[in-house]
Amino acid sequence: MSDVKSPTWKEALLDPLIANNPVMIQVLGICSTLAVTSSMKTAFVMGLSVTAVTAISNFAVSATRNYIPSSVRIIAQMTVIASLVILVDQILKAFAYDLSKQLSVYVGLIITNCIVMGRTEGFALKYPPVPSFFDGIGNGLGYMLVLCIIGTIREIFGSGSWFGITLLETVNNGGWYVPCGLLVMPPCGFFLVGLLIWLVKSFRKELIEPAEYDTHREDY
Amino acid sequence: MLNLKQYKDSPVGTLVIIVAFCLVCSVLVSSAVVALGPFKAAAEANDRQVSILRVSGYDPGDAVAQTYADHIEAHLLDVEKGVFVEEMQDQADGYNFASLSRKPETSTAIPAEKDVAGLRVRATYMPVYFVKDDAGVVTRIILPFYGKALWSTAYGYVAVDTDGNTIRAVTFYSHGETAGLGGEIDNPRWQALWVDKKIENADGAYSFVIKKNADHEGVGKDFEVDSLSGATLTSRGVDNAVRYWLGDAYKPFLDNVRKGEIIK
Repeated sequence: MSDVKSPTWKEALLDPLIANNPVMIQVLGICSTLAVTSSMKTAFVMGLSVTAVTAISNFAVSATRNYIPSSVRIIAQMTVIASLVILVDQILKAFAYDLSKQLSVYVGLIITNCIVMGRTEGFALKYPPVPSFFDGIGNGLGYMLVLCIIGTIREIFGSGSWFGITLLETVNNGGWYVPCGLLVMPPCGFFLVGLLIWLVKSFRKELIEPAEYDTHREDY
Repeated sequence: MLNLKQYKDSPVGTLVIIVAFCLVCSVLVSSAVVALGPFKAAAEANDRQVSILRVSGYDPGDAVAQTYADHIEAHLLDVEKGVFVEEMQDQADGYNFASLSRKPETSTAIPAEKDVAGLRVRATYMPVYFVKDDAGVVTRIILPFYGKALWSTAYGYVAVDTDGNTIRAVTFYSHGETAGLGGEIDNPRWQALWVDKKIENADGAYSFVIKKNADHEGVGKDFEVDSLSGATLTSRGVDNAVRYWLGDAYKPFLDNVRKGEIIK
């Protein structure tokens, strides 16, 4: 496989932050976005874990891309990704036990997070290790960015705190703030992702994909 | 190696490469699990000790292991008989009742009509923790309990006074309830409502209850805890868990405590 002209590491790193954001533009990894964003701590750690896994798996797959048999390439990629996820899970269990309890199954489910698989399959198999590594970091950070934005909104207005630090004293704790119960429920994460996509695409019109069909077209 | 690239798509090449991939990955994973094992075990033990100390009345500060060693004494309880299994006392600390309840040889089925907590089986033996003061006198008895809440099984510890009837503290160490709603079972202000509530009334009938509009002044004030608003099903699940464990499963043991046969 000959390499097509590879993006530089800078492009690979910065592009996925907004212009090609995995959640907002590629619309991948939505499931975990809904699940872990009810508090900032879990959102942040999940973002870090996914960044580490995408970066290292992208690097490993890219480094071995000329050896991976194309008939079983998905399995080979899954093997690498699954091993890395187990590693991350074990490290969290050993050194951040409390957080790993809160994240529960979602760390294990990074394996099925489409972002990781999407990047190894869509990027790392084509390009050399260094840009692949940065592409992994970029996509992980892009995911983390969305997680943190949604986590901030949900935690502040849903639980009156940010990173566990109380900002709005809730009624349950004897304060004045009546938290918005909807915000801690997963569907709210869905609404916020939708709003975020809308917001980004209204400010950057070039990101709107062309419609697949258009009934008002002259030649239709 | 030279030819491998060229033959990577031949059946033999594919097999060789995939086996190599799997070998490298499995070595990586298993060595990580082995290397991190002690840290993980320590973190788990620390987590359990912190949860138990939270209802013990002792604030460990940074010296969790030391406080635990000084004040907590584990026993293994034969739930049905309500007496300790002395010959297995060395296994009591951290006895993993949750996983042992899934093995037929270490578990007991719960008859359907008694199974208000939705558990179906429980471990035959349960760990029980005594809290001792500096003089070695038992001040509280900590009992693990759990039951199906709304989304998950909630696991907790309840501390009972040496009279075997007065709740001193409660905590939950594992649950998957919605943060802000059912997750409020972790709220210390709600847990404080449990303090000094009685399990049974003077006639020996189970009376503790978590309910809406709990009675704060009348006859119910010793037994009733307000349920959490917005978390009716979680509150009901916790109520059922307490009803099963304190009202039924631990009853033989608590009766023995009340008779003064356990703590001499």
